[in-house]
Amino acid sequence: MLENLSEKEQLILESLKTVIDPEVEINIVYLGLIYEITHNEENFQTDMIATLSARGCPVGDTILNHIKIAAEAAIPGSFANVELVWEPQWTPEMITPEGKAALNM
Amino acid sequence: MNAGLSTKNAPSPIVVLPHYVFGAVAFLVASVMLFFISGDIVKSNVGPGVLSVTHILVLGWITMVIYGALYQLIPVVMEVRLGSELLAHISFGTMAVGTVLLSLSFWRTYIMPNILVEIGGTLIFISALLFAINALISAKKSERRTIENTFIITSIFWLLFTIALGIVMIINAKKHFLAPSSVELLQIHAAAALIGWFMMLVIGVASTLMPMFFIAHNLNRTLLKISYGLINIGLIGLIVSLYAMADTILPAIFAFLIVAGMLLFVMFNYSAYKKRLRRKLDIGMKLSVLAFALLALTLVSAVVAALDLELLKNWNVKFDLAYGISLILGFFTALILGQMYKTLPFIVWLQKYQDKVGKFKIPMPASLYSEKVADAHYYSFIAGFVLLIIAIFTTLPVLAQISSVFFIITALLYGYNTFMIVFHKEDIKPLKS
Repeated sequence: MLENLSEKEQLILESLKTVIDPEVEINIVYLGLIYEITHNEENFQTDMIATLSARGCPVGDTILNHIKIAAEAAIPGSFANVELVWEPQWTPEMITPEGKAALNM
Repeated sequence: MNAGLSTKNAPSPIVVLPHYVFGAVAFLVASVMLFFISGDIVKSNVGPGVLSVTHILVLGWITMVIYGALYQLIPVVMEVRLGSELLAHISFGTMAVGTVLLSLSFWRTYIMPNILVEIGGTLIFISALLFAINALISAKKSERRTIENTFIITSIFWLLFTIALGIVMIINAKKHFLAPSSVELLQIHAAAALIGWFMMLVIGVASTLMPMFFIAHNLNRTLLKISYGLINIGLIGLIVSLYAMADTILPAIFAFLIVAGMLLFVMFNYSAYKKRLRRKLDIGMKLSVLAFALLALTLVSAVVAALDLELLKNWNVKFDLAYGISLILGFFTALILGQMYKTLPFIVWLQKYQDKVGKFKIPMPASLYSEKVADAHYYSFIAGFVLLIIAIFTTLPVLAQISSVFFIITALLYGYNTFMIVFHKEDIKPLKS
Protein backbone atom coordinates (compact mmCIF):
# COMPACT_ATOMS: atom_id res chain seq x y z
CA MET A 1 0.00 0.00 0.00
CA LEU A 2 2.88 2.33 0.75
CA GLU A 3 4.52 1.59 -2.58
CA ASN A 4 5.54 3.81 -5.48
CA LEU A 5 5.60 6.91 -3.30
CA SER A 6 6.62 10.19 -4.92
CA GLU A 7 9.51 12.21 -3.52
CA LYS A 8 7.10 14.43 -1.54
CA GLU A 9 5.15 11.44 -0.23
CA GLN A 10 8.44 9.86 0.85
CA LEU A 11 9.23 13.08 2.76
CA ILE A 12 5.82 12.87 4.48
CA LEU A 13 6.42 9.22 5.36
CA GLU A 14 9.74 10.15 6.98
CA SER A 15 8.02 12.91 8.96
CA LEU A 16 5.34 10.47 10.15
CA LYS A 17 8.10 8.41 11.76
CA THR A 18 8.21 11.14 14.46
CA VAL A 19 4.68 10.16 15.56
CA ILE A 20 5.07 7.64 18.36
CA ASP A 21 2.33 5.33 19.66
CA PRO A 22 2.74 5.93 23.42
CA GLU A 23 1.48 2.44 24.33
CA VAL A 24 3.99 0.49 22.20
CA GLU A 25 6.63 3.23 22.13
CA ILE A 26 7.51 2.82 18.45
CA ASN A 27 6.50 5.04 15.56
CA ILE A 28 3.22 4.53 13.72
CA VAL A 29 4.92 3.88 10.35
CA TYR A 30 6.92 0.96 11.75
CA LEU A 31 3.74 -0.20 13.49
CA GLY A 32 1.99 -0.38 10.11
CA LEU A 33 -0.80 2.05 11.01
CA ILE A 34 -0.44 4.14 7.83
CA TYR A 35 -2.22 2.51 4.90
CA GLU A 36 -2.00 5.19 2.21
CA ILE A 37 -0.35 8.55 1.50
CA THR A 38 -1.36 10.62 -1.52
CA HIS A 39 0.02 14.10 -2.05
CA ASN A 40 -1.56 16.27 -4.75
CA GLU A 41 1.08 18.71 -6.03
CA GLU A 42 -1.55 20.94 -7.67
CA ASN A 43 -3.67 21.84 -4.67
CA PHE A 44 -0.93 21.07 -2.09
CA GLN A 45 -3.18 18.61 -0.30
CA THR A 46 -2.12 15.36 1.37
CA ASP A 47 -4.69 12.63 1.92
CA MET A 48 -3.80 9.79 4.24
CA ILE A 49 -5.59 6.63 5.27
CA ALA A 50 -4.64 5.33 8.72
CA THR A 51 -5.84 2.93 11.37
CA LEU A 52 -5.23 2.36 15.09
CA SER A 53 -4.10 -0.76 16.90
CA ALA A 54 -7.43 -0.98 18.80
CA ARG A 55 -10.89 0.56 18.65
CA GLY A 56 -11.42 3.02 21.49
CA CYS A 57 -7.68 3.64 21.90
CA PRO A 58 -7.48 6.42 24.54
CA VAL A 59 -4.96 8.44 22.53
CA GLY A 60 -6.51 7.74 19.12
CA ASP A 61 -7.52 11.35 18.48
CA THR A 62 -4.14 12.61 19.55
CA ILE A 63 -2.32 10.23 17.19
CA LEU A 64 -4.52 11.33 14.27
CA ASN A 65 -3.90 15.02 15.08
CA HIS A 66 -0.20 14.34 15.29
CA ILE A 67 -0.25 12.58 11.89
CA LYS A 68 -1.89 15.66 10.34
CA ILE A 69 0.61 18.05 11.96
CA ALA A 70 3.62 15.91 10.98
CA ALA A 71 2.42 15.64 7.35
CA GLU A 72 1.84 19.39 7.08
CA ALA A 73 5.25 20.07 8.63
CA ALA A 74 6.91 17.88 5.98
CA ILE A 75 5.55 20.05 3.13
CA PRO A 76 5.27 23.62 4.49
CA GLY A 77 2.08 25.36 3.36
CA SER A 78 0.28 22.10 2.55
CA PHE A 79 -3.01 20.87 3.98
CA ALA A 80 -3.29 17.32 5.29
CA ASN A 81 -6.34 15.17 5.75
CA VAL A 82 -6.40 11.86 7.67
CA GLU A 83 -9.12 9.29 7.23
CA LEU A 84 -9.46 6.70 10.00
CA VAL A 85 -10.49 3.24 8.81
CA TRP A 86 -11.01 -0.11 10.57
CA GLU A 87 -10.90 -2.22 7.41
CA PRO A 88 -8.59 -3.91 6.76
CA GLN A 89 -8.27 -4.51 10.48
CA TRP A 90 -4.77 -3.93 11.81
CA THR A 91 -2.94 -7.05 12.97
CA PRO A 92 0.61 -7.51 14.30
CA GLU A 93 1.53 -9.03 10.90
CA MET A 94 1.38 -5.48 9.49
CA ILE A 95 4.35 -4.35 11.60
CA THR A 96 7.35 -3.59 9.38
CA PRO A 97 10.62 -5.51 9.78
CA GLU A 98 12.10 -2.40 11.50
CA GLY A 99 9.16 -2.38 13.95
CA LYS A 100 9.51 -6.12 14.61
CA ALA A 101 13.21 -5.63 15.35
CA ALA A 102 12.40 -2.76 17.75
CA LEU A 103 9.83 -4.94 19.53
CA ASN A 104 12.13 -8.00 19.63
CA MET A 105 9.52 -10.01 17.71
CA MET B 1 -15.71 8.18 9.89
CA ASN B 2 -14.43 8.43 13.42
CA ALA B 3 -16.35 5.55 15.02
CA GLY B 4 -14.05 3.75 17.41
CA LEU B 5 -12.41 6.92 18.69
CA SER B 6 -12.98 7.16 22.44
CA THR B 7 -11.78 10.75 22.81
CA LYS B 8 -14.59 12.13 20.64
CA ASN B 9 -17.05 10.93 23.31
CA ALA B 10 -14.94 11.51 26.43
CA PRO B 11 -16.75 13.22 29.37
CA SER B 12 -15.45 16.36 31.10
CA PRO B 13 -12.58 15.45 33.45
CA ILE B 14 -14.52 17.05 36.35
CA VAL B 15 -17.01 14.15 36.09
CA VAL B 16 -14.29 11.53 36.48
CA LEU B 17 -11.53 12.99 38.68
CA PRO B 18 -13.44 13.40 42.02
CA HIS B 19 -14.14 9.65 42.03
CA TYR B 20 -10.42 8.84 41.90
CA VAL B 21 -9.62 11.36 44.65
CA PHE B 22 -12.41 10.05 46.93
CA GLY B 23 -11.29 6.47 46.23
CA ALA B 24 -7.67 7.22 47.16
CA VAL B 25 -8.75 8.85 50.45
CA ALA B 26 -11.16 5.97 51.24
CA PHE B 27 -8.37 3.42 50.65
CA LEU B 28 -6.13 5.29 53.09
CA VAL B 29 -8.88 5.57 55.73
CA ALA B 30 -9.69 1.84 55.41
CA SER B 31 -5.99 0.95 55.72
CA VAL B 32 -5.69 2.98 58.94
CA MET B 33 -8.88 1.40 60.34
CA LEU B 34 -7.51 -2.04 59.45
CA PHE B 35 -4.82 -1.47 62.09
CA PHE B 36 -7.43 -1.04 64.84
CA ILE B 37 -9.53 -4.07 63.91
CA SER B 38 -6.66 -6.52 63.39
CA GLY B 39 -7.81 -8.56 66.41
CA ASP B 40 -11.34 -8.96 65.01
CA ILE B 41 -10.04 -9.90 61.57
CA VAL B 42 -7.73 -12.70 62.65
CA LYS B 43 -10.48 -14.12 64.88
CA SER B 44 -12.96 -13.92 61.95
CA ASN B 45 -15.18 -11.78 64.15
CA VAL B 46 -17.50 -9.81 61.84
CA GLY B 47 -18.09 -6.98 64.32
CA PRO B 48 -18.86 -3.27 63.80
CA GLY B 49 -15.27 -2.43 62.81
CA VAL B 50 -15.03 -5.15 60.16
CA LEU B 51 -18.43 -4.16 58.77
CA SER B 52 -17.37 -0.51 58.63
CA VAL B 53 -14.03 -1.18 56.89
CA THR B 54 -15.68 -3.58 54.43
CA HIS B 55 -18.18 -0.91 53.37
CA ILE B 56 -15.49 1.76 53.05
CA LEU B 57 -13.48 -0.59 50.83
CA VAL B 58 -16.40 -1.87 48.80
CA LEU B 59 -18.26 1.43 48.40
CA GLY B 60 -15.76 4.25 48.99
CA TRP B 61 -12.79 2.60 47.29
CA ILE B 62 -13.86 -0.03 44.77
CA THR B 63 -17.31 1.23 43.71
CA MET B 64 -16.22 4.87 43.65
CA VAL B 65 -13.19 4.24 41.40
CA ILE B 66 -15.26 1.88 39.22
CA TYR B 67 -17.90 4.64 38.79
CA GLY B 68 -15.23 7.16 37.77
CA ALA B 69 -13.42 4.73 35.50
CA LEU B 70 -16.68 3.63 33.87
CA TYR B 71 -17.69 7.19 33.06
CA GLN B 72 -14.42 7.35 31.13
CA LEU B 73 -14.59 3.82 29.75
CA ILE B 74 -18.22 3.71 28.58
CA PRO B 75 -17.22 5.78 25.52
CA VAL B 76 -14.36 3.33 24.91
CA VAL B 77 -16.36 0.12 25.27
CA MET B 78 -19.72 1.28 23.88
CA GLU B 79 -18.52 4.03 21.51
CA VAL B 80 -21.15 6.55 22.66
CA ARG B 81 -21.21 9.64 24.87
CA LEU B 82 -22.14 9.24 28.53
CA GLY B 83 -25.93 9.50 29.05
CA SER B 84 -25.82 12.48 31.45
CA GLU B 85 -22.98 14.27 33.22
CA LEU B 86 -25.41 15.85 35.72
CA LEU B 87 -26.62 12.41 36.85
CA ALA B 88 -22.97 11.41 37.29
CA HIS B 89 -22.35 14.41 39.60
CA ILE B 90 -25.42 13.66 41.74
CA SER B 91 -24.53 9.97 41.86
CA PHE B 92 -21.04 10.88 43.11
CA GLY B 93 -22.39 13.18 45.85
CA THR B 94 -24.97 10.70 47.14
CA MET B 95 -22.48 7.82 47.10
CA ALA B 96 -19.87 9.90 48.96
CA VAL B 97 -22.25 11.07 51.71
CA GLY B 98 -23.97 7.66 51.90
CA THR B 99 -20.67 5.82 52.31
CA VAL B 100 -19.51 8.17 55.09
CA LEU B 101 -22.83 7.88 56.98
CA LEU B 102 -23.04 4.11 56.63
CA SER B 103 -19.43 3.42 57.60
CA LEU B 104 -19.47 5.92 60.47
CA SER B 105 -22.64 4.40 61.80
CA PHE B 106 -21.33 0.82 61.56
CA TRP B 107 -18.12 1.91 63.33
CA ARG B 108 -20.02 3.49 66.24
CA THR B 109 -22.68 0.87 66.79
CA TYR B 110 -23.75 -2.53 65.57
CA ILE B 111 -27.33 -2.17 66.72
CA MET B 112 -29.84 -2.16 63.88
CA PRO B 113 -32.01 -0.47 62.78
CA ASN B 114 -30.27 2.84 63.01
CA ILE B 115 -31.30 6.14 61.42
CA LEU B 116 -27.81 6.87 60.02
CA VAL B 117 -27.69 3.43 58.39
CA GLU B 118 -31.14 4.00 56.89
CA ILE B 119 -30.23 7.43 55.47
CA GLY B 120 -26.81 6.22 54.27
CA GLY B 121 -28.29 3.10 52.67
CA THR B 122 -30.99 5.15 50.92
CA LEU B 123 -28.40 7.61 49.55
CA ILE B 124 -26.31 4.72 48.23
CA PHE B 125 -29.40 3.19 46.65
CA ILE B 126 -30.18 6.55 44.94
CA SER B 127 -26.58 6.80 43.76
CA ALA B 128 -26.61 3.28 42.34
CA LEU B 129 -29.97 3.90 40.67
CA LEU B 130 -28.72 7.09 39.00
CA PHE B 131 -25.51 5.36 37.94
CA ALA B 132 -27.52 2.44 36.51
CA ILE B 133 -29.88 4.77 34.61
CA ASN B 134 -26.90 6.67 33.22
CA ALA B 135 -25.07 3.54 32.11
CA LEU B 136 -28.23 1.99 30.62
CA ILE B 137 -29.04 5.20 28.66
CA SER B 138 -25.50 5.00 27.20
CA ALA B 139 -25.87 1.28 26.46
CA LYS B 140 -29.18 1.89 24.66
CA LYS B 141 -27.49 4.41 22.36
CA SER B 142 -24.64 2.03 21.60
CA GLU B 143 -24.66 0.06 18.38
CA ARG B 144 -21.91 -2.26 19.55
CA ARG B 145 -23.38 -5.53 20.84
CA THR B 146 -20.36 -7.36 22.14
CA ILE B 147 -20.02 -9.91 24.93
CA GLU B 148 -17.98 -7.30 26.86
CA ASN B 149 -20.94 -4.85 26.72
CA THR B 150 -23.33 -7.61 27.78
CA PHE B 151 -21.21 -8.30 30.88
CA ILE B 152 -21.29 -4.60 31.82
CA ILE B 153 -25.04 -4.19 31.31
CA THR B 154 -25.81 -7.38 33.27
CA SER B 155 -23.55 -6.23 36.11
CA ILE B 156 -25.64 -3.06 36.44
CA PHE B 157 -28.77 -5.14 36.99
CA TRP B 158 -26.91 -7.10 39.68
CA LEU B 159 -25.89 -3.79 41.29
CA LEU B 160 -29.54 -2.76 41.51
CA PHE B 161 -30.44 -6.14 43.00
CA THR B 162 -27.60 -5.86 45.57
CA ILE B 163 -28.60 -2.39 46.76
CA ALA B 164 -32.33 -3.22 46.80
CA LEU B 165 -31.59 -6.30 48.90
CA GLY B 166 -29.47 -4.15 51.25
CA ILE B 167 -32.46 -1.85 51.81
CA VAL B 168 -34.77 -4.85 52.33
CA MET B 169 -32.30 -6.20 54.91
CA ILE B 170 -32.38 -2.91 56.83
CA ILE B 171 -36.21 -2.95 56.87
CA ASN B 172 -36.23 -6.68 57.71
CA ALA B 173 -34.08 -5.96 60.77
CA LYS B 174 -37.08 -3.98 62.09
CA LYS B 175 -40.06 -5.94 60.73
CA HIS B 176 -38.66 -9.53 60.43
CA PHE B 177 -40.79 -10.53 57.42
CA LEU B 178 -38.22 -12.71 55.56
CA ALA B 179 -37.70 -16.39 56.38
CA PRO B 180 -33.90 -16.66 55.97
CA SER B 181 -31.69 -15.49 58.83
CA SER B 182 -29.66 -12.29 58.61
CA VAL B 183 -26.53 -14.42 58.01
CA GLU B 184 -28.07 -16.07 54.94
CA LEU B 185 -29.33 -12.71 53.64
CA LEU B 186 -25.84 -11.29 54.18
CA GLN B 187 -24.37 -14.17 52.14
CA ILE B 188 -26.81 -13.44 49.27
CA HIS B 189 -26.05 -9.70 49.52
CA ALA B 190 -22.29 -10.36 49.39
CA ALA B 191 -22.58 -12.90 46.52
CA ALA B 192 -24.66 -10.50 44.39
CA ALA B 193 -22.29 -7.60 45.13
CA LEU B 194 -18.98 -9.39 44.65
CA ILE B 195 -19.84 -11.76 41.80
CA GLY B 196 -22.83 -10.11 40.09
CA TRP B 197 -21.80 -6.48 40.28
CA PHE B 198 -18.02 -6.23 40.72
CA MET B 199 -16.84 -9.40 39.01
CA MET B 200 -19.11 -9.19 35.96
CA LEU B 201 -18.29 -5.52 35.52
CA VAL B 202 -14.58 -6.18 35.83
CA ILE B 203 -14.83 -9.01 33.28
CA GLY B 204 -16.62 -6.70 30.80
CA VAL B 205 -14.19 -3.83 31.21
CA ALA B 206 -10.99 -5.87 31.59
CA SER B 207 -11.80 -8.02 28.54
CA THR B 208 -11.81 -4.80 26.51
CA LEU B 209 -8.88 -3.05 28.14
CA MET B 210 -6.37 -5.83 28.81
CA PRO B 211 -6.08 -6.93 25.14
CA MET B 212 -5.99 -3.23 24.17
CA PHE B 213 -3.13 -2.45 26.55
CA PHE B 214 -1.32 -5.72 25.83
CA ILE B 215 -1.94 -5.10 22.10
CA ALA B 216 -3.08 -8.68 21.65
CA HIS B 217 -5.18 -9.84 18.70
CA ASN B 218 -7.03 -12.96 17.51
CA LEU B 219 -8.36 -13.89 20.95
CA ASN B 220 -11.01 -16.55 21.51
CA ARG B 221 -14.12 -14.67 22.71
CA THR B 222 -16.12 -17.91 22.99
CA LEU B 223 -14.36 -18.32 26.35
CA LEU B 224 -16.07 -15.12 27.51
CA LYS B 225 -19.48 -16.19 26.20
CA ILE B 226 -19.32 -19.51 28.08
CA SER B 227 -18.00 -17.66 31.14
CA TYR B 228 -21.05 -15.33 31.01
CA GLY B 229 -23.47 -18.27 30.98
CA LEU B 230 -21.70 -20.17 33.77
CA ILE B 231 -21.40 -17.17 36.11
CA ASN B 232 -25.02 -16.07 35.71
CA ILE B 233 -26.53 -19.54 36.03
CA GLY B 234 -24.23 -20.23 38.99
CA LEU B 235 -25.08 -16.97 40.73
CA ILE B 236 -28.86 -17.26 40.28
CA GLY B 237 -28.72 -20.88 41.46
CA LEU B 238 -26.55 -19.95 44.45
CA ILE B 239 -28.87 -17.15 45.53
CA VAL B 240 -32.01 -19.28 45.16
CA SER B 241 -30.47 -22.19 47.08
CA LEU B 242 -29.20 -19.86 49.82
CA TYR B 243 -32.62 -18.20 50.10
CA ALA B 244 -34.36 -21.55 50.22
CA MET B 245 -31.85 -22.47 52.97
CA ALA B 246 -31.06 -25.62 51.00
CA ASP B 247 -28.87 -27.68 53.27
CA THR B 248 -27.61 -29.75 50.35
CA ILE B 249 -24.73 -29.86 47.96
CA LEU B 250 -26.59 -27.42 45.66
CA PRO B 251 -24.90 -24.16 46.80
CA ALA B 252 -21.49 -25.82 46.33
CA ILE B 253 -22.40 -26.99 42.79
CA PHE B 254 -23.52 -23.48 41.82
CA ALA B 255 -20.37 -22.01 43.39
CA PHE B 256 -18.31 -24.33 41.18
CA LEU B 257 -20.13 -23.07 38.07
CA ILE B 258 -19.16 -19.50 39.08
CA VAL B 259 -15.56 -20.50 39.70
CA ALA B 260 -15.44 -22.28 36.31
CA GLY B 261 -16.77 -19.12 34.62
CA MET B 262 -14.16 -16.97 36.34
CA LEU B 263 -11.48 -19.46 35.34
CA LEU B 264 -12.43 -19.05 31.67
CA PHE B 265 -12.07 -15.28 32.09
CA VAL B 266 -8.59 -15.80 33.58
CA MET B 267 -7.75 -18.06 30.61
CA PHE B 268 -8.90 -15.37 28.16
CA ASN B 269 -6.59 -12.83 29.82
CA TYR B 270 -3.74 -15.31 30.02
CA SER B 271 -4.00 -15.84 26.28
CA ALA B 272 -3.94 -12.02 25.78
CA TYR B 273 -0.85 -11.90 28.00
CA LYS B 274 0.87 -14.66 25.99
CA LYS B 275 0.05 -13.01 22.65
CA ARG B 276 1.00 -9.52 23.82
CA LEU B 277 2.97 -7.31 21.49
CA ARG B 278 4.40 -5.17 24.20
CA ARG B 279 6.79 -7.44 26.04
CA LYS B 280 7.97 -5.02 28.75
CA LEU B 281 5.15 -4.28 31.19
CA ASP B 282 4.74 -0.82 32.71
CA ILE B 283 3.70 -0.42 36.35
CA GLY B 284 -0.01 -0.30 35.47
CA MET B 285 0.16 -3.62 33.66
CA LYS B 286 2.48 -5.17 36.28
CA LEU B 287 -0.15 -4.47 38.95
CA SER B 288 -2.91 -5.76 36.66
CA VAL B 289 -1.03 -9.02 36.02
CA LEU B 290 -0.52 -9.32 39.79
CA ALA B 291 -4.29 -8.83 40.21
CA PHE B 292 -4.94 -11.85 38.00
CA ALA B 293 -2.46 -13.95 39.97
CA LEU B 294 -4.39 -12.96 43.11
CA LEU B 295 -7.66 -13.87 41.38
CA ALA B 296 -6.29 -17.38 40.87
CA LEU B 297 -5.60 -17.48 44.63
CA THR B 298 -9.15 -16.23 45.25
CA LEU B 299 -10.55 -19.06 43.14
CA VAL B 300 -8.56 -21.65 45.09
CA SER B 301 -9.88 -20.23 48.41
CA ALA B 302 -13.39 -20.18 46.95
CA VAL B 303 -13.17 -23.86 45.96
CA VAL B 304 -11.86 -24.87 49.40
CA ALA B 305 -14.53 -22.74 51.13
CA ALA B 306 -17.29 -24.23 48.94
CA LEU B 307 -16.11 -27.82 49.56
CA ASP B 308 -16.52 -27.24 53.31
CA LEU B 309 -14.31 -30.28 53.95
CA GLU B 310 -14.63 -32.13 57.25
CA LEU B 311 -10.85 -32.53 57.14
CA LEU B 312 -10.40 -28.74 57.34
CA LYS B 313 -13.17 -28.28 59.91
CA ASN B 314 -11.29 -25.70 61.98
CA TRP B 315 -9.98 -23.90 58.91
CA ASN B 316 -13.16 -23.44 56.88
CA VAL B 317 -13.97 -20.04 58.42
CA LYS B 318 -10.42 -18.94 57.67
CA PHE B 319 -10.81 -19.98 54.02
CA ASP B 320 -14.09 -18.02 53.85
CA LEU B 321 -12.24 -14.96 55.15
CA ALA B 322 -9.22 -15.54 52.90
CA TYR B 323 -11.62 -15.72 49.93
CA GLY B 324 -13.27 -12.38 50.82
CA ILE B 325 -9.96 -10.66 51.54
CA SER B 326 -8.19 -11.97 48.45
CA LEU B 327 -11.10 -10.77 46.32
CA ILE B 328 -11.54 -7.29 47.89
CA LEU B 329 -8.06 -6.39 49.15
CA GLY B 330 -6.29 -8.63 46.64
CA PHE B 331 -7.76 -8.85 43.14
CA PHE B 332 -9.98 -5.74 43.06
CA THR B 333 -7.47 -3.53 44.89
CA ALA B 334 -4.49 -4.60 42.73
CA LEU B 335 -6.56 -4.12 39.58
CA ILE B 336 -7.66 -0.62 40.65
CA LEU B 337 -4.12 0.32 41.69
CA GLY B 338 -2.89 -0.78 38.26
CA GLN B 339 -5.68 0.47 36.04
CA MET B 340 -5.47 3.92 37.66
CA TYR B 341 -2.10 4.27 35.89
CA LYS B 342 -3.70 3.20 32.60
CA THR B 343 -6.61 5.65 32.77
CA LEU B 344 -6.10 8.71 35.01
CA PRO B 345 -2.85 10.01 33.41
CA PHE B 346 -4.50 9.83 29.96
CA ILE B 347 -7.59 11.73 31.16
CA VAL B 348 -5.49 14.59 32.57
CA TRP B 349 -2.96 14.46 29.73
CA LEU B 350 -5.66 14.70 27.05
CA GLN B 351 -7.22 17.67 28.85
CA LYS B 352 -3.90 19.54 29.11
CA TYR B 353 -2.03 18.53 25.96
CA GLN B 354 -4.34 17.10 23.31
CA ASP B 355 -4.26 20.27 21.17
CA LYS B 356 -0.52 20.83 21.74
CA VAL B 357 0.80 17.57 20.27
CA GLY B 358 3.31 18.23 17.48
CA LYS B 359 3.33 21.99 18.24
CA PHE B 360 5.19 22.02 21.56
CA LYS B 361 7.52 19.75 23.48
CA ILE B 362 5.15 18.10 25.97
CA PRO B 363 5.50 15.40 28.62
CA MET B 364 4.18 11.87 27.97
CA PRO B 365 1.24 10.56 30.09
CA ALA B 366 3.67 8.37 32.08
CA SER B 367 5.61 11.49 33.14
CA LEU B 368 2.63 12.78 35.12
CA TYR B 369 3.43 10.50 38.08
CA SER B 370 6.49 9.05 39.78
CA GLU B 371 7.29 5.55 38.54
CA LYS B 372 9.57 5.01 41.57
CA VAL B 373 6.69 5.74 43.96
CA ALA B 374 4.43 3.39 41.98
CA ASP B 375 7.11 0.67 42.08
CA ALA B 376 7.45 1.14 45.85
CA HIS B 377 3.71 0.68 46.46
CA TYR B 378 3.74 -2.39 44.19
CA TYR B 379 6.02 -4.09 46.73
CA SER B 380 4.41 -2.61 49.87
CA PHE B 381 1.03 -3.86 48.58
CA ILE B 382 2.37 -7.40 48.07
CA ALA B 383 3.94 -7.35 51.56
CA GLY B 384 0.69 -6.11 53.15
CA PHE B 385 -1.45 -8.68 51.37
CA VAL B 386 0.80 -11.67 52.06
CA LEU B 387 1.13 -10.75 55.76
CA LEU B 388 -2.65 -10.40 56.10
CA ILE B 389 -3.27 -13.85 54.64
CA ILE B 390 -0.60 -15.34 56.94
CA ALA B 391 -2.18 -13.46 59.89
CA ILE B 392 -5.55 -15.06 59.17
CA PHE B 393 -4.17 -18.60 59.14
CA THR B 394 -1.86 -18.10 62.14
CA THR B 395 -4.43 -15.99 64.09
CA LEU B 396 -1.68 -13.52 65.05
CA PRO B 397 -3.05 -9.95 65.43
CA VAL B 398 0.46 -8.47 65.38
CA LEU B 399 0.96 -9.75 61.81
CA ALA B 400 -2.33 -8.13 60.77
CA GLN B 401 -1.13 -4.88 62.35
CA ILE B 402 2.18 -4.99 60.45
CA SER B 403 0.17 -5.81 57.31
CA SER B 404 -2.01 -2.73 57.84
CA VAL B 405 1.13 -0.58 58.12
CA PHE B 406 2.13 -1.82 54.65
CA PHE B 407 -1.36 -1.06 53.38
CA ILE B 408 -1.11 2.46 54.87
CA ILE B 409 2.23 2.95 53.07
CA THR B 410 0.64 1.65 49.84
CA ALA B 411 -2.35 3.99 50.21
CA LEU B 412 -0.10 6.99 50.97
CA LEU B 413 2.15 6.36 47.95
CA TYR B 414 -0.80 5.63 45.67
CA GLY B 415 -2.56 8.75 46.97
CA TYR B 416 0.59 10.80 46.33
CA ASN B 417 0.67 9.69 42.68
CA THR B 418 -3.10 10.19 42.27
CA PHE B 419 -2.86 13.77 43.57
CA MET B 420 0.25 14.39 41.43
CA ILE B 421 -1.72 13.42 38.32
CA VAL B 422 -4.98 15.17 39.22
CA PHE B 423 -3.23 18.45 40.14
CA HIS B 424 -0.65 18.29 37.32
CA LYS B 425 0.43 21.74 36.11
CA GLU B 426 0.76 22.22 32.37
CA ASP B 427 4.40 21.93 31.27
CA ILE B 428 5.06 22.92 27.64
CA LYS B 429 8.30 23.96 25.96
CA PRO B 430 9.02 25.25 22.46
CA LEU B 431 9.51 22.42 19.95
CA LYS B 432 13.06 23.46 18.96
CA SER B 433 14.99 24.34 22.10
